[in-house]
Amino acid sequence: MNSAKNLLTLMVLISLSAMIGCTDEAPSDLPAPGLGGVTINKYMAVGNSLAAGYQSSGLYKSAQLYSYPKLISDQLKLAGAKLGTFEQPYWPDPGNPDPKTGKAARYVIISLADPNNPVIGPKGESVTAAAPENALTLPRPYDNLGLPGAPLAGFMDTLGTYQGGFGPAIIRAAGGLPKSQFLSVKALQPQLVTFWLGNNDVLGYATSGGTSPSAPTPLATFSFLFNQAIDTLKKSVPNVKIMVGTIPNVTTIPFFTTIGPKVAASLAVVGASMYYQKAGETGVGSGSTKFNNPAGDPMICLTGSAYAGYIGAGAGMPNVQGGKFYRDVAASAGAPVSAVIPAGVDTTKPFGLHPQNPWPNALVLDSSEIAKATKAVSDFNASIKSIAAAHGAVVVDFNAMFTDIAANGITISGVKYTSAYITGGLFSLDGVHPSSRGAGVIANEVIRVMNSSFKTNVTGVDISKLPALPIPLGKYMAGDNMIPNVAPQSWGHFLGLWQN
Amino acid sequence: MNILSKSIAVCMLLLISSLSLHAGGFQLNEHGARAMAQGGAWAARAYDGSAIFFNPAGLGFQKIRSLYLGTTIIMPAASFYGPTNLGQNAKNEMVSQVFTPINLYATVPVMENLVVGIGINNPYGLGTEWPEDWTGRYITQKIDLMSFFFTPTAAYKVSDNLSIGVGLNYATGNVTLSRMVSPGDAQVKLDLSGTGMGFTGGVIFKPTEALSVGVSYRSSVKIDAEGTAEFTPSSALFPAGDAAATLELPATAFVGVAYKVMDNLEVEADYQFVGWSSYKELKIDFKKNNTSSVSPKNYEDTYILRLGGEYTMEAMQIRFGYLFDRNPVADHYTEPLLPDSDRNGFNIGVGYKINETMSVDASYLFLKFAERKVTGTEVEFDGVYQSNANLFGINFGYTF
Repeated sequence: MNSAKNLLTLMVLISLSAMIGCTDEAPSDLPAPGLGGVTINKYMAVGNSLAAGYQSSGLYKSAQLYSYPKLISDQLKLAGAKLGTFEQPYWPDPGNPDPKTGKAARYVIISLADPNNPVIGPKGESVTAAAPENALTLPRPYDNLGLPGAPLAGFMDTLGTYQGGFGPAIIRAAGGLPKSQFLSVKALQPQLVTFWLGNNDVLGYATSGGTSPSAPTPLATFSFLFNQAIDTLKKSVPNVKIMVGTIPNVTTIPFFTTIGPKVAASLAVVGASMYYQKAGETGVGSGSTKFNNPAGDPMICLTGSAYAGYIGAGAGMPNVQGGKFYRDVAASAGAPVSAVIPAGVDTTKPFGLHPQNPWPNALVLDSSEIAKATKAVSDFNASIKSIAAAHGAVVVDFNAMFTDIAANGITISGVKYTSAYITGGLFSLDGVHPSSRGAGVIANEVIRVMNSSFKTNVTGVDISKLPALPIPLGKYMAGDNMIPNVAPQSWGHFLGLWQN
Repeated sequence: MNILSKSIAVCMLLLISSLSLHAGGFQLNEHGARAMAQGGAWAARAYDGSAIFFNPAGLGFQKIRSLYLGTTIIMPAASFYGPTNLGQNAKNEMVSQVFTPINLYATVPVMENLVVGIGINNPYGLGTEWPEDWTGRYITQKIDLMSFFFTPTAAYKVSDNLSIGVGLNYATGNVTLSRMVSPGDAQVKLDLSGTGMGFTGGVIFKPTEALSVGVSYRSSVKIDAEGTAEFTPSSALFPAGDAAATLELPATAFVGVAYKVMDNLEVEADYQFVGWSSYKELKIDFKKNNTSSVSPKNYEDTYILRLGGEYTMEAMQIRFGYLFDRNPVADHYTEPLLPDSDRNGFNIGVGYKINETMSVDASYLFLKFAERKVTGTEVEFDGVYQSNANLFGINFGYTF
């Protein structure tokens, strides 16, 4: 019995020592954040609405907190960069006002009464602040210089002509601060700049259905401006590392890919064709489609979502249903309806199903316009790449990334994200701008390129920790028939961003 | 008798409390403390009621009625560092849980050379739980899989050196799991149950007094499980409703050789095959909206090497063992649902004969999982897993 006791004691001791001995140590070959000897004490973002953290057609703090420059700055700090506070022009929620209504411009899901037609748009939220919260107190330029609506020309512009509607609030020239994005960067002398501009040199053309402006920025102008920007930046900020982004193909964003297939499915049921105005047409529409030729099909803008439900309306009901689009245009312009109905259009004909009451040009990108936008994107990108190479700037190929996501989606921590409107998870409710998780994907691509180009070890953003789209799941439904009804008046301000 | 009734009462209490708990580790091979203490190398001897699990032929050599019942207390621990594909290195710790699979065997010789028995145990079970808000919550938050096998068995002693045994497996299975789903943030909770049938069989041959060879096989068991899926918040996008899945519990086979080195020392080496390739995918059908969620698993057939021995000193037996368990999951399919890796197990234990009819066995197993670094995973969730487990087994035996 004695030996039995001893044995038992021994067993217990071995057990305990085994348990104690297995307190685990962290694995040795984990990613260790660090800058690899690179000094980054100041990082600044030059960009447009994408950099600003503009989401769902508005600029508001709870989205700006997850702008891709902010996410990058957070990861840089984790790697040891002494950036201090990364200053952004936070606009307290619910964000900036729509100039026409005075109410918050951002979109929310307003109504889910009909789950097949969620109504999305501004909800009439009262604006709580007239300007970014520290616009008057911060005595230096913001680190995030994202200017919603700014084209490439906005970089050097000191007059506010190309700075978009938010220029005065963000650049703050009137407050005595440097008068342009360029001068702001020059004043703060960062070691790292992300430069992602040029999207608006083609996006406005595309989102307005090829109507406003009626063409993308000419390539010669674009190349001149891009070269001037990088060259000047390089000379004025010695030793700066510049990372430039390519322009994603605008036709893969949900703004263009959401409504067409829904309309096509509805038309297929009755075997009807849709009649629409082609590029340049204002009256009778010469385009017709059954959406059975993927190469030649027009794309319907998300702005057309509010009118998709009126297709076929009009017969015997002058200006009531078939003329809904023109009544909205008239109301927006403060003009009589008769003044805005173009010659040749008869709103008593079934809307969208008759050449004399065609689907309006502003709500559709026909095949020639798609080709024009696509060519502009590829030309711009070729220009960006060659100019970057000539100046030792690093290229982040967002176009390649978004093209791949549009084709294959992207899986992160068990979630497959796609380019689909709402359900895809990467785009906000305006169908153009990334969601917070979409911004995380952008930030991670920048960080990936940064690490491979500069031999830094900056850790990526943990995407699944970022806020998901605020979808009231209680009643929301994503069926095949879902045609989101985005309130038409809400687009006025959104489109206005591109029209300076 | 007083001690006996107390022992049985304790065992019944353990058993009852265990029924409400869960089994851990998708496949469990700890079904008797005597076998467990010897690295599970038991198929060539199978001297006790756990023969019903390890090799039913073992019953053929057991001449008296017996009860053998016990439990294994399993305390796994795991950490995940990552996701490294996003450059993350944060440590995520699995929530601590304790699992107590049970085993209960009764055997009765019914005529010359024929012994029948029944076993109840939990050969497959799994439980992992991660913090609700952790970074992998879209892959898994919590899963529990539990199976009960009821195995009526008969063994026939063909001659003094040959026995054969067969059994039927009636299995019940239950799986519950919860995780987040995208878009937005909704949580799905699944609760599925079902039953299935299988069989088992084995042979033990003793070519010499000192040498024993055993072979056994247990078929796979297919469980068609049905139940419910609940979403929080519930929605038209994710409607609550009926759900179904098929769980195929893999086949397994033992080949063992035991040798009596001295009168009081026996050693055994076993090779166990596990047919994990039956686990191709986890497909859950949601009947309400007629959709399925398919997670590819593509497990591979694998094996376990077992070495063990038993040294007898009067009423006391000292046992020791080692096992190597090759994990069935390729790097590409490794995920926190069941963060497996190759395991080395170190076993010790004692047996004590209280009197002519009663005995008690205790065992301890420390399972060290090889640190596992995975990249390029199916779910895009790369990182380093560190796991280990402490297992304590206890069994009471009564012969009459």
